[in-house]
Amino acid sequence: MKVSRTMNSNTKRIVVTVAVVMILLPLGYSLVSGAFLGTSDSSQPFLERPDPKYQKCVRNTEYMRFHHMDLLKQIREEFVRHGNRDETGFDSCRGCHTSRERFCNQCHNSVSLNLDCFGCHYYPEPTFETANLRKRGSR
Amino acid sequence: MNRRKFLKKGGMVLSGTVCADGLLLLTSCNPSETTKENRLSRHKWGMVIDLNKCKPECTACMEACRQENNVAFHGDKRWDIHWIRKVGIQERHSENAGEKMIPMLCNHCENPPCAQVCPVQATYKRDDGIVIVDHHRCIGCRYCMIACPYNARFFNYKDDPDWPNKSYPKRSHGVAESCHFCAHLLDQGKRPACVDTCEKIGVKAIYFGDLKDPNSEVSQLIADTPLKRIRADLGTEPKVYYKGL
Repeated sequence: MKVSRTMNSNTKRIVVTVAVVMILLPLGYSLVSGAFLGTSDSSQPFLERPDPKYQKCVRNTEYMRFHHMDLLKQIREEFVRHGNRDETGFDSCRGCHTSRERFCNQCHNSVSLNLDCFGCHYYPEPTFETANLRKRGSR
Repeated sequence: MNRRKFLKKGGMVLSGTVCADGLLLLTSCNPSETTKENRLSRHKWGMVIDLNKCKPECTACMEACRQENNVAFHGDKRWDIHWIRKVGIQERHSENAGEKMIPMLCNHCENPPCAQVCPVQATYKRDDGIVIVDHHRCIGCRYCMIACPYNARFFNYKDDPDWPNKSYPKRSHGVAESCHFCAHLLDQGKRPACVDTCEKIGVKAIYFGDLKDPNSEVSQLIADTPLKRIRADLGTEPKVYYKGL
């Protein structure tokens, strides 16, 4: 009776240890990978900074990050249905953000969004090589 | 105050308020206040094509349209799209049964059947009379192609890799399209590509202008010369006129 009880407590201890290790494993992994791999974590999208000669966007960065699609839809409605063609649009976006691959697609790919804007609207590949890659939100 | 007087006065007060509210409502429903002045509604675009000048073998307007609007051309008549095309027409029951080649494009009807049948309001008439497709809304049902009496509508069965004019978007596979009088150029104050080209090559068979302006070239032509519209009997009120049809 007594032997089986000690055996039980030993197994319990082992089970608890294994469970704790299992629970903490992802945390430990991310800590270790963060310490060794640093900023090269592939889950973070990298947004290309626009050409330095452009000082600011049509709206502030926070608004553009979360609501650029609303703004684009609004512009589209004015442009297509009311003929107000003096507003900003893709034409003015691509003046600063020259590369679709290094700007738009960075976030869209990381959240698995497949947009079909660029099947019809021209958004060119960059004509010059910009080395000013910055981490997202570092502006 | 007895009961009779109270009811009388109450009735007067009640009817007074009802009348005042009615008056307020009537004044707020005044149409001159609710309709907004639209920038587009100042014009009404129309076209006159002089068939005496138009040469049967010339395709300059078609080429210009393709280059300006990225109209798909695959070299296969099943999939080719023509916003403006040459059509041979023949008058029935007449002695001079010769075929006549006429440039055919969207007639920009005043009562467009394509816009009436569109289930998602992708095709609509702008305030300047141009019938235009919002390709973002088009679901590709092809009702407009069936409804159009001029066969001016085409469907994108395939994507075309060519992209001659990068400043104007292409249409993707699965939407219907037709001529829009180069609305993107009109909004910039320019003229449609076919009109410009026809003048540039020295033919000037296509006249384009504002039908609301009585002094415009088109209005004067319509007033002075006998012009015909294709299938005017249908009541669609097309805005493309032909001289010498």
